[in-house]
Amino acid sequence: MGLTLSYDDKKRAVLLLIAVGVVAWIAIDAAAGGSKYWARVLLRLPLLFTGSGSGWPIAGGFVLNILLSIAVMTLATALGTLIGIATLARLALLRVPSLLLMNFLRNSPWLVLLFAMLYILPFEVHVFGRVVAFPPFVKAVIGLALPTAANFSEVIRGAVQSIHSGQWEAARSLGYTTIQIYRHVIMPQAFRRMIPGWMNLYALVMIATALATVTGIQDVLTILNNLLAMESERVIVYFYLTVLFLFFAYCYPIAVLARRLERAVKGDNL
Amino acid sequence: MNRSDALVELDDIHKSFGDVPVLKGISLFVQKGEAVCIIGPSGSGKSTILRCINGLIPVDRGFVRVGTNRVHELKSEKAMRALRHQVAMVFQQYNLFPHRTALENVMMAPIQVLGHDRSEVEERARKLLKKVRLSEKADSYPGELSGGQQQRVAIARALAMQPEVILFDEVTAALDPETVKEVLRTIRDLVEDGLTCILVTHEMKFAREVSQRVCFTDRGLIVESGPPARLFDHPEDPRTREFLGQIL
Repeated sequence: MGLTLSYDDKKRAVLLLIAVGVVAWIAIDAAAGGSKYWARVLLRLPLLFTGSGSGWPIAGGFVLNILLSIAVMTLATALGTLIGIATLARLALLRVPSLLLMNFLRNSPWLVLLFAMLYILPFEVHVFGRVVAFPPFVKAVIGLALPTAANFSEVIRGAVQSIHSGQWEAARSLGYTTIQIYRHVIMPQAFRRMIPGWMNLYALVMIATALATVTGIQDVLTILNNLLAMESERVIVYFYLTVLFLFFAYCYPIAVLARRLERAVKGDNL
Repeated sequence: MNRSDALVELDDIHKSFGDVPVLKGISLFVQKGEAVCIIGPSGSGKSTILRCINGLIPVDRGFVRVGTNRVHELKSEKAMRALRHQVAMVFQQYNLFPHRTALENVMMAPIQVLGHDRSEVEERARKLLKKVRLSEKADSYPGELSGGQQQRVAIARALAMQPEVILFDEVTAALDPETVKEVLRTIRDLVEDGLTCILVTHEMKFAREVSQRVCFTDRGLIVESGPPARLFDHPEDPRTREFLGQIL
């Protein structure tokens, strides 16, 4: 057998085969009468994207999912950093409760947390005579940010603990205090190792934003459901495939990039 | 030997890790400017002795003094600061900071720990890199250097703290044979400059050439010590004889 393919070549070939298969299937289906359903989907695409039929102004849709994922990730990064630092603390008073909190949140179903936030968080709160409202979007952000923060804190903890103990010893022998060691030696190295995990988590959050439909915000799934009430049964499949593809097209490149970074970071162990 | 004159004084130190006793009463005095080698089989507690001297490992029992610092009484890292300034350490695995260049590795601690002036530290660091014959590698990252080069940067980093004593923990054990030589040459220069050195080593030939005194440790005790010529050629203790017989 003169032909020897490397693992990567084989993987690429299989992926290509799948892509060609999908395209061929769509083409055949379109020729067999599916094109009129695709035309319906195309017509509704602006609505799915932005929540308004003409594509402007932005009232929801897939763009809202993206905004939601960014808001969730921002809050979760801040919150997760705090929890992560607390789980690394030497002080048991700080470490033990934060470990408990982290494990509780990490092991809760995201949908349940989302529902819980929906009912636990008030409609609005009065702070010093001012009214702060909690619209569904904010509830969705908080509900999704909690488990994400817990997962991110674990990413931080893992990255920090993956730094070789020799780094601690060397830094201590040079007279650094614990806080200085974190600041000058551990964190700059751990930070690089966190980035792939953080990106993977973001891709997960983006996927999970579809859950936020239970809060009633006008995300792509809510809009899709409203839309489908007016469409024929046969076309539903095409719409769902389209929405699935939107998520895939957004998340897959992130996952690929994260994996590439992960490989790049692996080299610098010593 | 007059022990109160000694720069480093260990008296009857004991240390256990869990239930395993590692040091069972080590006493050692090192004079200023002296080079002392510690040899012995793996697991005999050689590296632990070094870590007790600079307080990386607290002793269970016994007396440790370096200069005016009574190490066994220092509890916090802040209290250790003067000691860490006085005692530097070089490790088997180099332990350079991989995210910093060679020059930055040398400059970091004097600036961040000792608070020395940046430009003065840079001048010192460049001089030290020249001393370890790595001037042209100042801007390289540790990952771009060979093991021997990394180890020489680590020596320069230790020297940048302007220590009175420098501890070498099997610094050539992880190196390729051809790079061992250049590291040993660097250490020999330091000994000749009169820096107090305590070396844990498996390089017997080097130990014989460079040190004024060799200590043989076995099972947590210093079994025998003396000038290298006597210890290597006429070992008195049967355990020393057995060990030397195995490796020479």
